[in-house]
Formats: sequence, C-alpha cells, structure tokens
Amino acid sequence: MPAPPSDARLLHARLVHVRPTGDDGVVLRVRPERELPPLRASRFFMLKRLDGTSPMIPRPFSIYRQVDGCLEFLIKVMGRGTRALAEAPEGAELSVVGPLGNGWPDLDGESASWVLLGGGVGAAPFPMLIEASLARGVAPGRIHYLLGAATKGLLYDLDWPRDLAERGVRFLTATDDGSEGFHGNVLGLLERLWDEGELPREVRLLACGPDPMLHAVERLARERDLEAWLSLETLMGCGVGICNGCPVPTRPDGPLGAWGNAKCCVEGPVFSTREVTLG
Amino acid sequence: MVDLAVSLGSLRLRNPILTASGTFGHGLEMRAFTPASKVGALVSKTVTLEPRAGNPAPRISETEAGFLNSIGLENRGVEHYIAHTLPEVAGADTRIVTNIGGESVADYARIAEVLADREEIDAFEVNLSCPNVHGGKLPFGTVPRVAAEVIEAVRAVTSKPVFAKLSPNVTRIADMAVAVEGAGADAITAVNTLLGMAVDWKSGRPALATVQGGYSGPGIRPVALRCAWECARNVSIPVIGCGGISSVEHVLEFLVAGCTAVQIGTASFADPTLPGRIAGELDGELARAGIERVGDLIGTIRDGREAQRG
Repeated sequence: MPAPPSDARLLHARLVHVRPTGDDGVVLRVRPERELPPLRASRFFMLKRLDGTSPMIPRPFSIYRQVDGCLEFLIKVMGRGTRALAEAPEGAELSVVGPLGNGWPDLDGESASWVLLGGGVGAAPFPMLIEASLARGVAPGRIHYLLGAATKGLLYDLDWPRDLAERGVRFLTATDDGSEGFHGNVLGLLERLWDEGELPREVRLLACGPDPMLHAVERLARERDLEAWLSLETLMGCGVGICNGCPVPTRPDGPLGAWGNAKCCVEGPVFSTREVTLG
Repeated sequence: MVDLAVSLGSLRLRNPILTASGTFGHGLEMRAFTPASKVGALVSKTVTLEPRAGNPAPRISETEAGFLNSIGLENRGVEHYIAHTLPEVAGADTRIVTNIGGESVADYARIAEVLADREEIDAFEVNLSCPNVHGGKLPFGTVPRVAAEVIEAVRAVTSKPVFAKLSPNVTRIADMAVAVEGAGADAITAVNTLLGMAVDWKSGRPALATVQGGYSGPGIRPVALRCAWECARNVSIPVIGCGGISSVEHVLEFLVAGCTAVQIGTASFADPTLPGRIAGELDGELARAGIERVGDLIGTIRDGREAQRG
C-alpha cells in the first residue's frame, strides 16, 4: 500500500517574500519552523495560507530551491489557491505538508547524456536537479536543459539556468512566438539538435511541463526507444495518498504491476514511461 | 482528566474520534501525522470482494465550501486487503474498523463472511451509501427494506459490531435509521457524502469525469448534523456523526446533538494531523466546561424554543 514518505510532516512556515517573475509567476520564499535537509529535486509540498484566505485544500508545488533554511517555490498564478499564495503578505503563516513524492532519478551513467525538457512553469524542478548533479560530480557537458514556453515571459526565472550554463551545462530556450531562443517548442528544438549532430542519438529524457508536451515526450521516447521520466502534475486532494484523487494510468506490462492506477502523489510525481502512460 | 471513553455496541473506544472511510487510507501509514494511539478508531477505505479500478480522472474538485469526489471505490479487493493491509494494521494501538461495500446483498454477506474471523478487525462499517457506484443510484442507501436486508445478511455472519453508514440523499433518514437498527446494526454512521456536481459554463465541462459525485467538507456540516440528530432521536443504538467536522467545537456540537462518536473526513486532506489533534484537544475543552465524562454531553441538546431564551 503506497504510503506517504517517511520524512513528510505538517510544518508551519512563514512567508519571507514573494518575488514576481515572468508574466504571471512568483517565487515564494517560505521559512519552515525547522530547516530541512537537502531535498531531491521534483519532490513537492502542499501549501496553503492559515489565515483563511486560501481554499480549504492545499495546492501541490514542486520545490524550486533551498536557500538559507528556506524553501522556494516557483508558482504560476492560475486560480484561487495560487492567487492567495502570490498575494500573501510577508510574515503570513502557511501550512506546509512535505516533503512529498519521489523526485527525479540521479543523473547517473558514465557516458549518458541527459536531456532535461521544461515547459513553462514546468521549469520549477530542473535548476535544483542540475545544481545537485554538478555537486555530485556529473560532468556539465552531459546535461542539456531545454526550456520552452508560449512566450518569453512564461519562461520565468532565467538567471539561475544561465548561471548553470556558465558552468558548462547546455541551456537553450524555445518559444512558440519566437520572442526568445528557438522559434518553436522544445521537441522541435531537440529534433534540430539531433539533425545538426549536436546531441548523441542515445539520450535519457526528463520532462516536466503541460500535458500535450508530456504526451509528445512519451511518444518520442517510445518511437526512439529512449529512457524517459516525466514529472507529472494532477489535481491532488491531499498529497499523502489518502484521497485517491490523483490516478495516473499504469502500463499493464510495466514495473508498477497490473494495477491500473498509480497514485501521482505517493508513487510519483516522477514516473518512468515504462511505468505509466498518458494515453 | 476527563473520561473520554465511549462504547459503540460492544466496542469500547478510548475516545470518540474516528477517521472517516476513504479519507485516511488504512490509517497506519499516516502515523507520522496522526499516530493510531491518538484516535478512538481507524476506519478503512471501502473494501469490496473483487478489485475495483475506480473511476477515471478527474475524480476530485474543490468548490467554495467543500469538496467533490468520485473515486468509485477504487480498491484491490478483499484478498489483497487480507494479504497486505491486515498484516500492517495488526497490533495497531487503536480499534480497526473495516468498511465493506458490495453490489448485491450476497456480496455484502460474502465479504463479511470472509473477514468475520479476522482478529485484526474490531468492527465492520457497512457502506450502504457510496454515491459513486451504480451511476449514483444508491440502491442500498435509499430504500429502508433493502438496507435492512444488507445489514441482516452481514449480521448473520459476524459477531463483531456492525455499523451502518447511511446516505443523506434520502427523504427521511430516520426511516433508514430505524430499519438498520431493526436489522441488527450496533451503530449508525451518519452521514456519507451528499450528491453534488460542478460545471464550467464556458467550456461546458463537468468538474468530475462522472459528472456527479459526493460532496463533503465544511458546506455539508449543517446537513450532517441534522441527519445525525434525526437518527439519534429515532433509534436507541449509538450514532457516529460525520460530515464537515474540522474542529473540537464541531465534535462537541455533534455529541450534544446525540452522537456518541464522530468521524473526521475531508478535513484530513488539508491537515492529516487533525484527527489526532482534535482528539488531543477534547480533554481540555471538556475540562474547561466542567464536564467529567464525555458521555455526559451526549444528547444534551435542548428544546429549540427554550434554547432561544438562553
């Protein structure tokens, strides 16, 4: 029976500050009641304000960065839950449940090239992964981070990935309207890199972004027989495995077994394309 | 030190706080948030004879004052429950209530029979009222005679306490309560979710894949309280209140209205420490009111006209 991670707790936290980023995003910095050890990128927390302005059900957000005992979250303001957080005053009291979920796999493999595909606010779980990988000694030249969005303002915080690029990680952007980087989407950019011989044919893919992008990544991985991991977002009622509201269809022949659904919150949010299918 | 113990039939609980079925897993996996030892009982998610894949996504949706769900009783069936869940809950420092569901009277009888001798289980709660199967037709939840048949069938195969979980989606819940009492239920859980739905008028899309689902959370508390009160004054078996409870004050309101115990449901999604925390606050709250035994509060609701005069 999938259970919440053993390190998950309900913590009280204070909002330190809210920094606007891009067209509709914020980076929320919160200080939990106690400092957390370094977390695996793409784990997440359920967040809500405790002053009654947030909806009852907290919202899931990937950890973006850990800094000075604080947690940062990159949030696209979309509805009631995200708006309440983005508009919270400094010092606001928050409930923070986490850390939850499994997180990205380690970028291991001596000769493997890793292609990280981010779409819009799906950028959130990547810089911390790259940072941690470099610290573990992964060669920067083996990491290729492609970040796409509809337009430049939806690529959000570009400073951190550009810093990583200066340390040897390949960082490229793509926008549907051509306002920044490659004119097109990240899959198109990936194809171009392959066509130009800029990337080995054998790569491992990590992807986080909107559903159509993840569908395309899953298809690509199957067609090219590539290993791929998707960090999924679903509606979540609890984040800890008790509401059953976040089913992800499993592959009948996959390693998760014959059961038709995985729980995104406690079995994910990162799944291999051998485990689940977006259909 | 207030005496918090209550009895549901022959089942003695350390306090009147239970988790609601389908809102706390099997309970033990949540120990980092609410240790089993804090609550009176842990109620399992509904177990059925055969595995059920459940409904497609979206299965949940939040509304202004509550939560819609249409999970569809996803569970891996009773064999899996016996092989994997019961060993995990064995020896738990609380009472274990197994919630059972079925699609026919025979189904209910069979699953109760299969589980009847399992000593890990302290009581059964019979789910007569899931709105998310049978296309929301609630066959066992709305006809007193049929509900009674189900309870009789379960009663016949087990000596463990049997709770009947009722639906609020009926004209007269008292008729249901009287029927299940007559059929041998040891307690009544009132209530399951209200049928509800939500739709986005611009896209025309319903919020749930099954269109309608079960509505729970703060918005249903007045309805649940009324249902529990109506049950309590029409039967002599204990009533377990359920619906929108998220604070110790809410618990005490249900007790005053006639409930012997309560279940914490949707509120656990937002704060899984809540069942344990509410249980921990009961003692102080009752002590401050000068109440020595929680039982002394049960059913002390006054006449409405008298209450207005203070």
